[in-house]
Amino acid sequence: MATQGRGEAGAGGRRKGSTEAGSGSQLCCGLFDMSAHQQGTELDLSWISKIQVNKPAVLRRAEQIQARRPVKKEWQAAWLLKAVTCIDLTTLSGDDTASNVQRLCYKAKYPIREDLLKALNMHDKGITTAAVCVYPARVCDAVKALKAAGCDIPVASVATGFPAGQTHLKTRLEEIRLAVEDGATEIDVVINRTLVLTGQWKALYDEIRQFRKACGEAHLKTILATGELGSLTNVYKASMIAMMAGSDFIKTSTGKETVNATFPVAIVMLRAIRDFFWKTGNKVGFKPAGGIRSAKDSLVWLSLIKEELGDEWMKPELFRIGASTLLADIERQIYHHVTGRYAAYHDLPMS
Amino acid sequence: MAATRTASRAGEIFTTLEYGPAPESHACALAWLDTQDRHLGHYVNGQWLKPEHRSSVPCQDPITGENLASCLQAQSEDVAAAVEAARASLENWSTQPGAFRAQHLTRLAKAIQKHQRLLWTLESLVTGRAVREVRDRDVPLAQQLLQYHAVQAHTQEEALAGWEPMGVIGLILSPTFPFLDMMWRICPALAVGCTVVVLAPPASPTPLLLAQLAGELGPFPGILNVISGPASLGPVLAAQPGVQKVAFCGAIEGGLRLLIQEAVWDETMRRLQERMGRLRCGRGLDGAVDMGARGDAARDLAQRYVREAQSQGAQVFQAGSVPSDSPFFPPTLVSDLPPASPCTQAEVPWPLVVASPFRTAKEALAVANGTPRGGSASVWSERLGQALELAYGLQVGTVWINAHGLRDPAVPTGGCKESGSSWHGGQDGLYEYLRPSGTPAWIPYLSKTLDYDSFGLALPSALPAGPETGPAPPYGLFVGGRFQAPGARSSRPIRDSQGSLLGYVAEGGAKDIRGAVEAAHQAAPGWMSQSPAARAALLWALAAALQRREPNLVSRLERHGVELKVAKVEVELSVKRLRAWGARVQAQGCALQVAELRGPVLRLREPLGVLAIVCPDEWPLLAFVSLLAPALAHGNTVVLVPSGASPIPALEVCQEMAALLPAGLVNVVTGDRDHLTRCLALHQDIQALWYFGSAQGSQFVEWASAGNLKPVWVNRGCPRAWDQEAEGAGPELGLRAAWTKALWLPMGD
Repeated sequence: MATQGRGEAGAGGRRKGSTEAGSGSQLCCGLFDMSAHQQGTELDLSWISKIQVNKPAVLRRAEQIQARRPVKKEWQAAWLLKAVTCIDLTTLSGDDTASNVQRLCYKAKYPIREDLLKALNMHDKGITTAAVCVYPARVCDAVKALKAAGCDIPVASVATGFPAGQTHLKTRLEEIRLAVEDGATEIDVVINRTLVLTGQWKALYDEIRQFRKACGEAHLKTILATGELGSLTNVYKASMIAMMAGSDFIKTSTGKETVNATFPVAIVMLRAIRDFFWKTGNKVGFKPAGGIRSAKDSLVWLSLIKEELGDEWMKPELFRIGASTLLADIERQIYHHVTGRYAAYHDLPMS
Repeated sequence: MAATRTASRAGEIFTTLEYGPAPESHACALAWLDTQDRHLGHYVNGQWLKPEHRSSVPCQDPITGENLASCLQAQSEDVAAAVEAARASLENWSTQPGAFRAQHLTRLAKAIQKHQRLLWTLESLVTGRAVREVRDRDVPLAQQLLQYHAVQAHTQEEALAGWEPMGVIGLILSPTFPFLDMMWRICPALAVGCTVVVLAPPASPTPLLLAQLAGELGPFPGILNVISGPASLGPVLAAQPGVQKVAFCGAIEGGLRLLIQEAVWDETMRRLQERMGRLRCGRGLDGAVDMGARGDAARDLAQRYVREAQSQGAQVFQAGSVPSDSPFFPPTLVSDLPPASPCTQAEVPWPLVVASPFRTAKEALAVANGTPRGGSASVWSERLGQALELAYGLQVGTVWINAHGLRDPAVPTGGCKESGSSWHGGQDGLYEYLRPSGTPAWIPYLSKTLDYDSFGLALPSALPAGPETGPAPPYGLFVGGRFQAPGARSSRPIRDSQGSLLGYVAEGGAKDIRGAVEAAHQAAPGWMSQSPAARAALLWALAAALQRREPNLVSRLERHGVELKVAKVEVELSVKRLRAWGARVQAQGCALQVAELRGPVLRLREPLGVLAIVCPDEWPLLAFVSLLAPALAHGNTVVLVPSGASPIPALEVCQEMAALLPAGLVNVVTGDRDHLTRCLALHQDIQALWYFGSAQGSQFVEWASAGNLKPVWVNRGCPRAWDQEAEGAGPELGLRAAWTKALWLPMGD
């Protein structure tokens, strides 16, 4: 288990802290060791200065990966349940209120109909989604609802001027602190795209460092908003900077850009995660978000993680899918697998 | 019961997250085999041909060993029947308008589309190849090939005016070919109006299925005929009357050789091993498998190579262990082979990668070009300038920059050196099945009396031949930019048309050829690197020199018995040829746009290297110049043997060349033509040989070229109309004078 004290966060300069975060807690119930953080490293610009991403090759690989690893029958059912445990069940709408947040939390606790899980003999495995993800103002509602449901699914909050990040640093940092105070244990921050597009890598590193510090005990997930970074090479560089600055996860997008989680972008980010792991021994998680709606998509995402990073990344400690409607489709597929019939809309509870 | 088993597995898989089987149903492939009662014959003239009293071989699933069907083996009568069918349909097919043939090919593409599942499951089932490779790559490409060539057929009358289809084409497939390689060859042949007889290896149902699809289209059943049989039937097919060309499709897709710069060696090897470790071997019909099996022979070959490499001190990385009795062989990375070990020299078998380090790009180029193979290569570098320089320098038919293995019907694919000199795809691929209109048909006549061991071996003794008619300058051999005495130190008399002695020319021999080839090689790098404009300028300067020398040349020709008027025409035309090729040289190469790639593909025309030309006896000056000019224009250096009866006009031109051209660019060796031809044909370091002489000489040249697969062009004893534009300066000469290289340039940041 990781032992590095949280109080030291922000002092910087430590690297290769204990890196086995989460590897001992192979739990299926969404319970993670929240004290284990990726500490990051000092800024080393040589890790990004020579990088050049071969876009045509990335596009080809992205195309291949979607056709080369079909998963069928029992394997499909088991993989879909794994995908469920990796979902950050999300609602990020202007019209969110306590009632729909409460419904979301209930769905997070009971993502698949109990009888279906029973048929698969998976009802006692504690299958829940990995987290619920809401706006900062809805964190209290979510914490309360989850407490009422009697479960310890973490609440994730977006922050730092989500989705555009175009607010003052001071308010962005304050936003993090308030969300943590309200009980969020995971913070999804957006980076300042201006700094990437103008090549101010040092400034980007410093900002994320401050986010890290403001998070305190909470997990830091850094949203790169890859649809607005201009090139795959920039995606790689931003990923590397975010990891050096101590992000626990790097996340593709807010779901609000015009281009969200795509496979080419994912490949570049996953390669960056692998390079960072090879350099430091630190395992950073990956979260695609935005546009992942079908059960089939979630299978491709899982196989992509398996191919690029290996089995050890295929768990909620290191892989999340940010989604709202995906869960419904997965439940329909499980229904079909168990019963041999396609479900009607009213057969499955809404979230 | 079943439900609980399912349930317990889900829990287990939830923990292990392993891949499960994803089998592709091959029921339709089996059903198709059932339509033939699991007994396949040949497909000739739109019908199944199942003659009696033939032996048959089993067609087996290479992975399970299960017997799928039995396949009849053809005998020579069956070959004859297939060729007869192709001949019978040739006239009707080749005289159809191109637009009509285009429609027919489009219909075949549609037929493939309709039955694609049958096609890909059958191919994967009988070859053991991964089904996704066949399904996602081969089948779509087969359709694209048909569509591309349909368009070519549509525009044939305009775009390929002056060319006609060769006739019946024989195609011999090797045992380990993918069906796509057959498509690369039959599509252009059918498009331009040829008909085809395919000799497929024993037990290969896919070509038969394709023939059936084509045959069932209706009006032209005999244009594609497929017979299965042993490779020993190849010569029988080649010797059938009417067969105009035989194309071979050798074994391909071997292992890979990887050169990695030392500075990035560790990083690259680590990434490579990581990636190889995730490749999955398994039954070809499993949709989640990257690599299937290729049968016991391929596996044993790989195993032998790995064992040998290990004994020579190599490091071997294999992802996962595969039991030795399994039909599969894991992807294998071999490194640290000592540079001089036999494994380093040998061809790398599938599915192996042999990695070796290099220090500089120059060194990498030398290593890469230092093999007898010249098929394809890829260059991986983030520095586009450097990647391009390497790509231009590589002597291979296809270079991909930062990509590998892309194919497109519009891009010519071929090779140089021992990878052969024929082209598939693009315009270049069409010319393989065309000949200039009016060329006499090829008669498959091989003289049984020609003794290859003694042809041109003996050098006739040169003796004094009586008084000379006039004061003639002593002609030496024109080698390395100056006239030299021949090694044999003897001369041969040259007589005029009346039989009186005109003078003596040098009697060249093997040593002189060796010297001439050396001189040509020395001049080659300089000449190749000249810009087209510089080459053109030199050809024009030579043209001007010939013009100045016209009276002298005319009188020389007259003394050889040429009429004054004809002699004048001959000199004029010679001047014209030099000017024309000088102008043409500047308009070469082009960029192609293809579907699979964002970015251009460059089609480059590369010099052959040292080109040897044996000139015909007729048109002693014009033929000499007509052959020399395209060769020089395309950047070759040349060793020529001039007309045997009248070499003097050519030697006169040499006097001009001595002053104008760089030393060694053109070398002219006189002497006994058969003897010099023998020396040239058996010289391994001549890149191509053109021979215009006797039928026997042609036969010898073709026989000898098999030694290193050098491209040859022979006239089989038929004279050529050198004064006519088509035969004396037609596009055929330009096509023969260079080889094509395709350079793929993906773009995107």
